[in-house]
Amino acid sequence: MIKLSGIRKSFGRNEVLQGIDLTVNKGEVVAILGPSGSGKTTLLRCINYLEKPSDGEIQIGDFSLDFKHAGKKDIYALRQHSAMVFQQYNLFSHKTALENVIEGLIVVKKIGKEEARKRGIELLEKVGLGAKLDAYPSQLSGGQQQRVGIARALALEPEVLLFDEPTSALDPELVGEVLAVIRRIAKEGITMIIVTHEMSFAQDVANHVVFMDGGVIVEEGNPAELFGNPKEERTKQFLKRFTSEYSYSI
Amino acid sequence: MKLDPSFIWTAFVQLWSAVPTTLLITLVSVLVGFVIGTITALSRIYRIPVLSQLSGAYVTFIRGTPMLTHLLLIYFGLPMIVDGLSAQLDLGWNSAKIPMIGFAYISFSITAGAYLSEVIRSGLLAVERGQMEAAWSIGMTTPQALRRIVFPQALAASLPNLSNSVIGMLHASTLAFTVSVVDLNAKAQIVASTNWKFFEAYIAAALIFWGLTIFIERITGFIERRINVYSKGGVA
Repeated sequence: MIKLSGIRKSFGRNEVLQGIDLTVNKGEVVAILGPSGSGKTTLLRCINYLEKPSDGEIQIGDFSLDFKHAGKKDIYALRQHSAMVFQQYNLFSHKTALENVIEGLIVVKKIGKEEARKRGIELLEKVGLGAKLDAYPSQLSGGQQQRVGIARALALEPEVLLFDEPTSALDPELVGEVLAVIRRIAKEGITMIIVTHEMSFAQDVANHVVFMDGGVIVEEGNPAELFGNPKEERTKQFLKRFTSEYSYSI
Repeated sequence: MKLDPSFIWTAFVQLWSAVPTTLLITLVSVLVGFVIGTITALSRIYRIPVLSQLSGAYVTFIRGTPMLTHLLLIYFGLPMIVDGLSAQLDLGWNSAKIPMIGFAYISFSITAGAYLSEVIRSGLLAVERGQMEAAWSIGMTTPQALRRIVFPQALAASLPNLSNSVIGMLHASTLAFTVSVVDLNAKAQIVASTNWKFFEAYIAAALIFWGLTIFIERITGFIERRINVYSKGGVA
């Protein structure tokens, strides 16, 4: 279980997170929606401590941390409980697909090379890249790179996988292959938090949907509820374009 | 005066004895300079208090003054410091024991450090921030991320400039003759004046310098090809 309470973050005078409380149960897939600048990516990055929140607490499983008094060791420990899949993939560009996946296993988890390789190959096969073990990121398409990114995050067996708009840098033809992989992993019961603009994907895959705007959570609930019958005016307004498109397509 | 082509060869052979000195000065100054440059570049990029200001001052002062001036400042200043310290702390040091080439090593290392600092800084800045974030995300510590992820890529990015600096230091090492170190150029002068054939001796020196430079270019070209395998699909 992941529990965030009172997360605040400011960039200068601009408070982008104004006290976020969020609970994610084990095995749940949470989609965070919201317009640009609503703070959803910042929130996700706080969980991985890629942004330093100015206030708040986090609990992942039996590990908990008060962000106000976080030391170096706490930060490294927190990061080991989650793994991030980035919008721009951020694969290590001087390492092959397989090396990317096993880097964390070797350096952080201190697993032997042979064992790590075996696990890395399994993971790359799982995301459909068993034939690209020795390819460098520059030799892979965006969709393939992102699937390596997912395998790299999975390798660490984190308690929660964080996806930061995993398909928004991809061209439309490649979005499908990445979403298919995420959908497959979701079925395995891994806890995930996904920041996304893919509404129909969120509706389809998530058990819990969170709508954010202006640094606060406006509304949350199960997808049928939130998409079908949003309570807040702001949510209705945001979903209008999507739902109207949706009704046309029927 | 007539050119004596056969003497070019004679000089060429005699000059070889000075090649190790020239290479050694270049190697020491580039290696020590690389260490200084890495420390100063990192402290400036990560804005480490005090260290970053000191590094900034060091880089502007050294790049703002000629290399020959550095050599002369060290040559005249270092003995004063050494003897002064020795007298005060009773260390029994004597500046006269410092070999002449030692002055060249020290001052050229300081010079190279300032120029390499900027080369390394540009290389580090060429690595996207996302690489560091990805390393953190999989649980690496900052030193691990720097060593395994950022440095190799920064090195690849700065290699062309780095090779430029090495060649620059090779040629600039000729200044060592001002503190009576017999490098390649000084040797050419000795061979020239004992035989009264200046042009021939300097032609031989130029050919050797050119050869050494081509050698350095080849080495860096080779490393560049090895290190850049991963970017052959274009900029990722």
